Amino acid sequence: MAMPILEARSLRKSFGSGSTQVKVLCGASLSVAPGEFVVIMGASGSGKSTMLHLLGALDTPDSGSVSYRGESVFDGSRSKQGAYRNREVGFVFQFYHLLPELNVLENVMLPALVSNSFWAWRKTRVSARQNALEMLDRVGLIDRVKHRPNELSGGEQQRVAISRALVHKPALLLADEPTGNLDATTGSGILNLLAEFSEAGQTMILVTHDASVASRADRTLTLVEGVIREAGAPTAVEHKSEPQKPEVVL
Amino acid sequence: MYKWFLAWRYLRTKMIAFFGIASVMLCVAMVLVVMSVMGGFLDTVRDRSRGLHSEIIIDNRSMQGFPYYEEFSRFIENRLPEVIRLTTPSIWTYGLFRIPATNFTVSARVQGIHLDDYVQLNDFKRGLHYERYFPGTTTFKPQGMPVVGIGENGVMTLPPDLAAANALWRSNETDAAAIEAFDRLPFERALLPRVRPFVPAERVFAVDVGEAGYRGSKRPGIIVGCDLLNIRRSDGNFDRVYARGTDVALTLIPLSPAGNPNRQPAARLALRYVDDSRSGIYEIDSMSVYVDADMLQRELAMDAQPLAGGGFTKPRVNQLLVGLHEGVDMNEAKALIADAWREFYLSLGPGLTMDDERALAMMEVSTWEDLQRPFIQAVEKEKVLVTILFSLISMVAIVLVGCIFYMIVEKKTRDIGILKAIGASGRGVAVLFVSYAGAVGVLGSILGIALGSFFVWNINDIQDFLASLDPQLRVWSPDIYSFDRIPEVVKRADAIWIGLIAVFASMVGSLIPAFVAARVWPVQALRYE
Ligand SMILES: Nc1ncnc2c1ncn2[C@@H]1O[C@H](COP(=O)(O)OP(=O)(O)O)[C@@H](O)[C@H]1O
Ligand SMILES: [Mg+2]
Repeated sequence: MAMPILEARSLRKSFGSGSTQVKVLCGASLSVAPGEFVVIMGASGSGKSTMLHLLGALDTPDSGSVSYRGESVFDGSRSKQGAYRNREVGFVFQFYHLLPELNVLENVMLPALVSNSFWAWRKTRVSARQNALEMLDRVGLIDRVKHRPNELSGGEQQRVAISRALVHKPALLLADEPTGNLDATTGSGILNLLAEFSEAGQTMILVTHDASVASRADRTLTLVEGVIREAGAPTAVEHKSEPQKPEVVL
Repeated sequence: MYKWFLAWRYLRTKMIAFFGIASVMLCVAMVLVVMSVMGGFLDTVRDRSRGLHSEIIIDNRSMQGFPYYEEFSRFIENRLPEVIRLTTPSIWTYGLFRIPATNFTVSARVQGIHLDDYVQLNDFKRGLHYERYFPGTTTFKPQGMPVVGIGENGVMTLPPDLAAANALWRSNETDAAAIEAFDRLPFERALLPRVRPFVPAERVFAVDVGEAGYRGSKRPGIIVGCDLLNIRRSDGNFDRVYARGTDVALTLIPLSPAGNPNRQPAARLALRYVDDSRSGIYEIDSMSVYVDADMLQRELAMDAQPLAGGGFTKPRVNQLLVGLHEGVDMNEAKALIADAWREFYLSLGPGLTMDDERALAMMEVSTWEDLQRPFIQAVEKEKVLVTILFSLISMVAIVLVGCIFYMIVEKKTRDIGILKAIGASGRGVAVLFVSYAGAVGVLGSILGIALGSFFVWNINDIQDFLASLDPQLRVWSPDIYSFDRIPEVVKRADAIWIGLIAVFASMVGSLIPAFVAARVWPVQALRYE
């Protein structure tokens, strides 16, 4: 295998403390090659979102590491993590998470707005706008650019969110149940769109509890009892220690 | 860039921002109104106080006055010709002011002045009413009552000298509106002399059939404080109820050099009301009358009086007023004159009478500021106090802005999470909220300055309007605040300072919520759903 673009080692994460502590991840590891389309499956509440947040540096692990192109993400400064989130990663959420005050175009331009200073923006504005329009054209929303998110359907909002995640051409797309909130037809439309990007070479990690999604992936992993297993190889466990469901430790 | 972009967008789309803007606006307006009115009040106090006095006042603060004022006048005029422009004596006492044709009787502070000199020392002349429209006709010299004549054709004419004086004013007056106002009501009539008058108006003359001219015996003039005799209208001008030239009786109690009432009976003076004086300070205008200093000195027995053992007493006055040349520093002049006084006093030698010795030992040289200081300082302190109080109240605005931003941060937690997921830094998000608050502050300040200025510029109209609803609502009453108009000037520096402080305060108010927003981890924010 080529050098992995993203590698997670023994991630541990628990929430709460004392009697209500919930251990969600208990040494989850993962390695993704460039261009790969990886699906992580798991039951609801198994820790898939938590895992993805750690991969995208939206949260910190209790222990373990995430390295991007060989460089540890959590060892860097906060601003380095910010740059990682801004440039290297695109995030798609189950609930779209668009800014309601901004219209479609402005939402898609947001990554560019965030990465440019007031002065730099004057120079980059035109190209940022152009990129956003191209992206929206690709997802088929070019005639909705002036609409507010609440004027769009769920599927359309998710397309906007995908545009926002990919407008910067990030190396990595992280999608957390992108179809979880959509009906089957709309959902498969979104999956087709993601598959298109994947075929164009986009590396992506998609999290879902929907088995039908898995068929599109290059590789399917499952998150069970806080660790990641190759699908169909339930014994290939890296850490045999304390395999357990996330539970309330009394 | 997103900080400014979103700050602006939130400002335009979030209703709640308007509460922030409104509270900043009201506080800015409130503080600006208070500072402008109090500042204007203070400036007016200073200005009017200056206009009341001469630069330097020499006196011993007693009613029986002091002697040797003429000698000392000449002494300092010779000694300090570069400093001293003019000296003039002044006498003051208290008396009973009466209009014999009516039962109008009040007590009055009587000031004796040399009118021609006195008007060169201060703003007295500016406050004279008839002197303005009939320049040169206000005098203390014995005079009759001017009477307007009604010709056979019914046309009313002024006595020739008054008509000429009025024509002179007309040709020199630069304010066309004033001439127009005058022509609308050239004079109002008091129908017959000695008959109880009539239509209250700005200028009142007695009217009689026949030729215009002067009637009645010649009597010395008296200038009367405008609030003493006239009726103040709500627009700040006066209705004059008594015709020019009306008989006035003034009763005085002469004092001996030792300060005891003289044995001779009280002096009764028959005078003519020739003009009224407006200094703008109610306490003065409602109390004071002005007569000729020499006459007053005689009537009060302060002139040279025969002594039992032969010889005469020295004439006395209560004050020696000194006007300085242009550009002379008042306090330096005061020091020079005080030195001169000591030298003069020592040169008088041991031959002084006991009373004179006692009077001269207490002499003081003061500037007009010294005399007014207690009053000016009281107003200064009041201004500071009121400004502090209202600034404290304005803290409410800061807290309110803080609350509003806290609410916005709570409501926008998800947005903050999204921004951070996209790579925004904690500092960036904090800057977003602080600049949002800054924008609220700027808008609130601009609106507040506009509102406050509008209020101050129209404050007298607003008060008149309120008073027309209920007289109780007239808060600025001249007998309480000395001045008839509420100050209505906004100083640009005040407005700018208040605005800047308000913007700063709004940003301070947003600091805690901004700090909270900065510390939010993306997931914490995104879990909300
Ligand atoms: N901030 C949190 N505080 C407490 N518990 C949490 C928090 N985030 C996640 N959890 C718990 O961790 C477990 C895994 O959550 P999540 O990663 O969202 O699962 P999934 O995405 O697989 O449904 C759940 O039991 C959830 O309740
Ligand atoms: Mg989830």
